[in-house]
Amino acid sequence: MKNRYRVVLIISALALAACSNNKPGSYLDGSAGTTGSGFEAGSASDPASPAYFQQTVGDRVYFAVDQATVDGAAQATLQAQADWLMANSEYSMTIEGHADEQGTREYNLALGARRANAVREFLTSRGVSGDRLQTVSYGKERPAELCSADSCYSLNRRAVSVLNNVNF
Amino acid sequence: MSVISSAEFDAINEAYQAPLVDTSAQVLLPTDVSEAAPEVSSAIDQTTESVAPPARPDQNVEVTRPQPPEPLDQPEIVTVIPDQPKPPQPTTTDLPVTAPTAAPRPADRVAPEAVAPPEEDAIVDEQTQESVSLADTGQKTEKQEQVAKAPEAATTEIITEAKERPSGAPSSSPRPRARPPESEVAKPQPTQAAEQETVDTSSVQDALAQAMEAKPYAPLGPPMTSGETDAFRISVQACWVVDVGSEAANVTVTVAMSLDRDGKVDDNSLKLLASEGGSESAANTAFRAARRAILRCQKDGYKLPVEKYDHWRDIEITFNPEEMRTR
Amino acid sequence: MFRFLILTMFWITATVAHAAPLRIEIKNGVIEPLPFAAPYFVAENSAANQLAEDLVTVISQDLVGTGLFREIPQSAFISGITSFASPIQYADWKAINAQALLAGAVSVEGGSVTVKFRVYDVFANQELGAGLKFSGTKDGWRRIAHKVADVVYSRITGESGYFDSRVVFVAESGSKGQRRKRLAIMDYDGANVTYLTGADDIVLAPRFSPTGDRVLYTSYETGFPRIYVMDVGTAQRRVLQDAQGTMSFAPRFAPDGETIVYSLEQGGNTDIYSMTLASGQSRRLTSDASIETAPSFSPDGSQIVFESDRSGSQQLYIMSANGGAAKRISFGDGRYGTPVWSPRGDMIAFTKQSKGRFHIGVMRTDGSEERLLTASFLDEGPTWSPNGRVIMFTRETQGVTGKANLYSVDISGRNLKPVPTASGGSDPAWSPLGK
Repeated sequence: MKNRYRVVLIISALALAACSNNKPGSYLDGSAGTTGSGFEAGSASDPASPAYFQQTVGDRVYFAVDQATVDGAAQATLQAQADWLMANSEYSMTIEGHADEQGTREYNLALGARRANAVREFLTSRGVSGDRLQTVSYGKERPAELCSADSCYSLNRRAVSVLNNVNF
Repeated sequence: MSVISSAEFDAINEAYQAPLVDTSAQVLLPTDVSEAAPEVSSAIDQTTESVAPPARPDQNVEVTRPQPPEPLDQPEIVTVIPDQPKPPQPTTTDLPVTAPTAAPRPADRVAPEAVAPPEEDAIVDEQTQESVSLADTGQKTEKQEQVAKAPEAATTEIITEAKERPSGAPSSSPRPRARPPESEVAKPQPTQAAEQETVDTSSVQDALAQAMEAKPYAPLGPPMTSGETDAFRISVQACWVVDVGSEAANVTVTVAMSLDRDGKVDDNSLKLLASEGGSESAANTAFRAARRAILRCQKDGYKLPVEKYDHWRDIEITFNPEEMRTR
Repeated sequence: MFRFLILTMFWITATVAHAAPLRIEIKNGVIEPLPFAAPYFVAENSAANQLAEDLVTVISQDLVGTGLFREIPQSAFISGITSFASPIQYADWKAINAQALLAGAVSVEGGSVTVKFRVYDVFANQELGAGLKFSGTKDGWRRIAHKVADVVYSRITGESGYFDSRVVFVAESGSKGQRRKRLAIMDYDGANVTYLTGADDIVLAPRFSPTGDRVLYTSYETGFPRIYVMDVGTAQRRVLQDAQGTMSFAPRFAPDGETIVYSLEQGGNTDIYSMTLASGQSRRLTSDASIETAPSFSPDGSQIVFESDRSGSQQLYIMSANGGAAKRISFGDGRYGTPVWSPRGDMIAFTKQSKGRFHIGVMRTDGSEERLLTASFLDEGPTWSPNGRVIMFTRETQGVTGKANLYSVDISGRNLKPVPTASGGSDPAWSPLGK
């Protein structure tokens, strides 16, 4: 109980931090969460934990200016994400698409959506069930980095995969 | 005066910047939507209840005022002379350019030097100063040359002027000045009479060709030099304010007026002769700006040579903002 | 021959005593603000004393703020207006070079205000148009001032004014990484701000209905961008589109106020749809695999201008309000977006990105006569004043401390200046002229 509670806490914290209003919808399969054996559950060394997903698998991929193409590096990350999702079927995921500030508001919303969708399509092509994945775009509203230079822009042109699991 | 630069315009505006409205008193503390609603509805109450529909003429206060200028209410004036401003190309600086075609030999002779510089001015208006000074130096010789050359140009002049006649129809030349409405309406008839007379006076017309596009009638006294007309033009344009973002900036208007010997404009004589481009409302605005320019810059009377009064007793000015629009 | 001509000349002199008119063309005027005088109004009862000054202060700010007028300070006046009925001493106003004069009177009875005024063309020695009288509430006095300023403006420029108008926008606060956004409405000059939403959810790009009673906007309230309509008077809102697996944004009213256009995203593709508000029925207007967004109606409701990257980069297109074939109208070097049709119907304002800079620009509806009005790190999202002469937009500064603020500029590119807001703002939309 204690461990599960901690897991739920961490997941909730992660979900809130990444996207405060993300509602789970009906993508969950309803199965209870389980932790792996032998590791400190919930820690980043636990390969079934969202922390592991975030830090080791990698929860984000990046894009070129004005592009939504998933390049080689992104594919590698997304393959790992797909593998993880297949191994941890209790999670659903929201893919957030973002854009850098070098564009107009509506277009960036649409561009972010393209990027999120490109990630989703890659993941489904690797076997992840589509109803576990939802997409949302934040356009340029939620930059990860704040400077107005490509060093920051390149980190803002991203799609972030956020795990959802609030069934107990 | 030339168009002021954008920086200067901004500088003028800086000096008159309205103080920023203090909105801090009006800002609500963050609340949820339901609490905000009453504030919003009171704001709307203010706006929906506050002001009566504006278009109610004032019925309670009587103020006597002079009759508005007639021409704005007389559409026939516009239709009678729609193309008047165009064909003669009434740019004083352009005149020497067109004069050769109108009367090749006299023009060459009448203002040999004065012709060339104004041609340059025709391209860049800011350099009118130059043309004035150049023309001034050539004034005396001009006059003598004009008188001398006139007879030689007689025959050729007739033909050319006849061609220009319909477009260059004098608006008020055959009639005693000062009664603008009648003169404008009656313009077509005097035109024909003018044609015959002009044929005979064509030689004298040549001499005037440099200073005036209007050929037909025999002006009394020596003609206006391009320097003199330039000086007058400059004194009016200094007061012509163009609102370049407005619809009126698309309108070219021609305004007629008459002056007394002191160079003062007879208010009643100021008329809109023609307008081109834009709606009627835009044309009215352009006319009012032109009228303001004429009335503001006269001060105690425009400085014009008294001995040439008959040449400038009636003036028609075309205000063309085409080059001033930001394009 | 010569003798003949001399004789002819004498004959002409004898018979024709008048000269042809001197004809002159003027092509170079000056561009300068028109000096006007606006003495404090005559207070017809003591309750109106403060308003007699305040009204003129707001009227003058309106006029001077356009960049087309310059106020002559009261200290320069030779004579004043002590009674609304007395005749004007034009010479006194000419002497201080006032080309226009505003004379008015105000009285206050309880909570109600009555204002009378006349406008004079000083150098023509006459009144400009008829005198007018407005009445309203004391609380709404600013609106009366704006309406008076609109009349003065329109009588002198020949075009309708824009001072009796409001702007709905996104009020911003917080630092760049923690921006909080909420919908707000204010008078066009920044006064009378009221908030329509809290700051918990991202809100974007609000737009007024043609009568100014409702606002369309995009909100992340559900966790996804969705379009809402809100009644301005009550702040009541309802979501218009909430199908799962989709996002909606960029809504705008049609001139009839009953239909809207918006962008719908599904499966990574964004297209333009129209919706009848009463029934909620939507119709798809574009079906390209490219991004189609930011639609804006022509004032007659027959056409829609929008942005699309179907050519490979963001460009502007015009199609019928029913959808169908679209014609490209932007051809310059750069990317074009956020097109907005002018209320005059003849121009389209837009955002252009070129060589790393952003510009607000205008072009004719066929794409010709493109003119850029501004240039900066990030300008976007123009909106037109009700008379089509002024454009308001968002300007964001660069860097970690970057902030967004509202700015306005005249259609000629002159008079660029900030619009005062409490802590920053973006996505302005101008209301129609007040009724």
